[in-house]
Amino acid sequence: MNYGKVLAFFGVLIATRSAKADVAIPYRAVMLDNGMKVILHEDHATPTVVVNVSYKVGSRFEVAKRTGFAHLFEHLMFMGTRRAPTKKFDAWMEGAGGWNNAWTSEDRTDYFDVAPPTALPLLMWLEADRLRDLGPLMTPEKLEAQRAVVRNERRQTSENQPYGKVELRLPELLYPEGHPYHHPVIGSHEDLESATVVDVKDFFDTYYDPANASLVIAGDFNPEEALKSARSMFGTIPSRHRAKDPGAPGFSDTKTTLKTVVRETMEDDVELPKIVMAWQSPKHLSDEDAVLDLVADVAAAGKASRLYKSLVYEKKIAQSVSASQQSGTLGSRFVIDVIARPGVSLDVLEKEIDRELEALRTKPVSADELARAVNFVETSFVTRLESVRERASILNMYEAEVGDPGFAGKDLERYRRATAESLRSAVASYLLPGSRVVVRVVPKKGAK
Amino acid sequence: MKNWASLLGMAALLAGCGTPNSKVEPVGPLGTSAPAASSGSQADPLGAKPEPAMPAPFVPPAPIVYSAGGFLNVWLLERHALPVVAVNLVVTRGAASDPEGKGGLAKATAGMLDEGAGKRGSLDIARDIDLLGATLSTNAYADYSLVSLHSLKKNLPAAMAIFSDVVMHPTFPEKEWARTHALLLADLKAAEKDPEDVSEVVALRTLFGAKHPYGHPNDGTVQSASRFTLDDAKRFYSEAWRPDHGTLVVVGDITRAELDAMLATSLREWKPPHSQSPLQLAPLPDPVSKRRIVLVDRADAPQTVITLLRPGIRADEPDAALLGRANIPLGGSFTSRLNQDLREERGLTYGAKSRVTFARSRGMVAAEAAVFVDKTGEALRAMLSDVSDYAKSGPTEEEIVRSKLAARSDLVESFESVRTAAARLSRNAGVGLPVGYDGWVARARDKATGADLARVSSAYFDPKDAIIVIVGPKAKVLPQLEGLGAVEVVKAE
Repeated sequence: MNYGKVLAFFGVLIATRSAKADVAIPYRAVMLDNGMKVILHEDHATPTVVVNVSYKVGSRFEVAKRTGFAHLFEHLMFMGTRRAPTKKFDAWMEGAGGWNNAWTSEDRTDYFDVAPPTALPLLMWLEADRLRDLGPLMTPEKLEAQRAVVRNERRQTSENQPYGKVELRLPELLYPEGHPYHHPVIGSHEDLESATVVDVKDFFDTYYDPANASLVIAGDFNPEEALKSARSMFGTIPSRHRAKDPGAPGFSDTKTTLKTVVRETMEDDVELPKIVMAWQSPKHLSDEDAVLDLVADVAAAGKASRLYKSLVYEKKIAQSVSASQQSGTLGSRFVIDVIARPGVSLDVLEKEIDRELEALRTKPVSADELARAVNFVETSFVTRLESVRERASILNMYEAEVGDPGFAGKDLERYRRATAESLRSAVASYLLPGSRVVVRVVPKKGAK
Repeated sequence: MKNWASLLGMAALLAGCGTPNSKVEPVGPLGTSAPAASSGSQADPLGAKPEPAMPAPFVPPAPIVYSAGGFLNVWLLERHALPVVAVNLVVTRGAASDPEGKGGLAKATAGMLDEGAGKRGSLDIARDIDLLGATLSTNAYADYSLVSLHSLKKNLPAAMAIFSDVVMHPTFPEKEWARTHALLLADLKAAEKDPEDVSEVVALRTLFGAKHPYGHPNDGTVQSASRFTLDDAKRFYSEAWRPDHGTLVVVGDITRAELDAMLATSLREWKPPHSQSPLQLAPLPDPVSKRRIVLVDRADAPQTVITLLRPGIRADEPDAALLGRANIPLGGSFTSRLNQDLREERGLTYGAKSRVTFARSRGMVAAEAAVFVDKTGEALRAMLSDVSDYAKSGPTEEEIVRSKLAARSDLVESFESVRTAAARLSRNAGVGLPVGYDGWVARARDKATGADLARVSSAYFDPKDAIIVIVGPKAKVLPQLEGLGAVEVVKAE
């Protein structure tokens, strides 16, 4: 062991931590008359411009029998309008040197475009056009085309991946019926099949409203000109209404609905068995959410983490470990995944994971463990500033979550405030041994 | 890596992602006018479709090059926007130098470097690096191996001390080998259930041949990894990891004076061992391409993974820069022919793409898609026909312009962060390209004409002799392949 070295480093780090890293992203925000917020972040370091449009709608807004609809709708947003007919959105954008993508979560749908600076007016024109007109122009053909793509997406990213079915089942086990997080974002094949053009138009009408969206423009551009274009292109789209967020009435992010250990075993075409544990945990950007992020790092990030060191390194009973606080607007989930070494039973693994959790529950982590986790977070906060695309996405994330695009500093402060005792207390309060989901994945019978 | 993704919200589904990547509906080239906007010509608040001008050419920044201490070649690219630095030590020996039958040794060797180095044991290295908020990782590709460090500037001297030990003084502890080797074997066994991994193993073996240095995946297979030992790893280290094979790539918030001060007490002291012979790089035989259809049975798979492949190009051939651009309209972007046809027109897949690998010796050209099982035959025929059409006629006018702009954007993004820039420069150093390579690539791609792109498309994409690898349920897939030629049913290993 080389303990002296470790202490020496620690001293240096304590000294240097007072020089706090600057993690702010400079921006200017303007509210348009229709309720759409425009956030401008100018930076000429890279000859790139990014447009990010975030809509406050995700899978938790879906109605019964329409699971997967928010994400299917995301695909439909590329299917064309009068001004930009089917296929032209991508063709024109790529024709100007740009590219785009989008993602849907339980809480939000986020669209982003990346292009050379000369293409900014086109990016804004295309985004404004689909926000203005897409819904009423939906057709059964467009819907059919993307329904097939999404069903293949479900297969490729989950069903045909080892252990991929867990992701589909976990929300149903973790949250009760009636909770907005009860179903997976991708939805069921049955519900995807049932979606109609009327559903699409209604959804557009309800959620794709300028007052329900925020626009970030970031990178190498002139903010005055961009703001002028934003006013004329987006500011002239009438708002029908600001969509209501149904929230999760009757549920609390700090009070789990699980009264017992919910167990399920599934067979899959895999080589090694896996155990997945999941808990309901406090919502994104709460103090305890940051604390549980740090708990996840202490538990499973790197070789020196608790679970890795014990299960993989010393006892040699696990192939891999991971832990994460997966943050959501209404509540989060804390998930531990451990894959067994060949020949090791999941009973043994479960007992050993429980032993490590009990230790975290009863005794504060060492100063060294806490410092490692916090320092990693600080580096990550600085590193994510490198990409214009990421900065644009972060500004809109904070805007959507707390209505303050400049929240980065306060976000990082949550981690700096954490103490060893706060980590212990969070594990004791939320990672309850009797209120959790335990899923076991075992190799299919008959398979070698 | 740590679980930092949670910051951006809960388990976001990345829709449309990873398909940088159809049959093209030709649209007007840059500068032509849009179709009529909404009915009624007056007062469309959006106005006419903006017509972007051509962006200024992008010239990638070139690192300065010098020799530190007589042996170590240094590429330094200063970037002072944020207080972060990426440091990679690259040696020009990788999985292609694995001894015959011992595929995976280069990567396993790289993996041992941070399992004990200097006075630190495996856990000490992990703890000390974590405490600095830094990341340290090792890897091996076909042509090169590397150790990568990423750190805040303020912690770099301390992190570099560990990095130097990892490169120069790995201790190869017996017990860490036993542990990591057992983990590797179990990972490789598990990979036999992953359709993409299975496809890669079979594709490389079929195209290059099992004994060819490029004929196995960098990780090796269960069989090949069972054959190598700790002694093999030590020998590979001493023959491959030498300063005369190395380049230190440094990108970020650091000056040459600061770097030299750090190197004075560390990597500068690295000397080639005189007693051992370096691992030679022999010219590799070219693969022979001949139409074969190879099927791996995955009885209950919900999708079929299809790959077409054929020999590609050497990284140092002038046409390599053009081939990268020529690939964009075929399968290298969302609006590419393969993705538009298989995904948007036919609805057979979440995404279809093609790619060109970058190798010191012969690379490969591959077209890939995961498709509905009952549409395997239709998908394969469509892929063959799309690729064949493109090889015959080359890109359209619109595709010529689009590929020029996309190639520019790719380069801009490659150099945006210190980590991506360091990875790009490391690849160049690793396959033996000169320091100014990307500047040359940018100019060559920029000035390539339609005729140039048509010429390389015809030379490298023609699927007439392509090998076809299919991973899916045999009983359902075989009848769909009738008329395409003899089908060999093989096992992954």
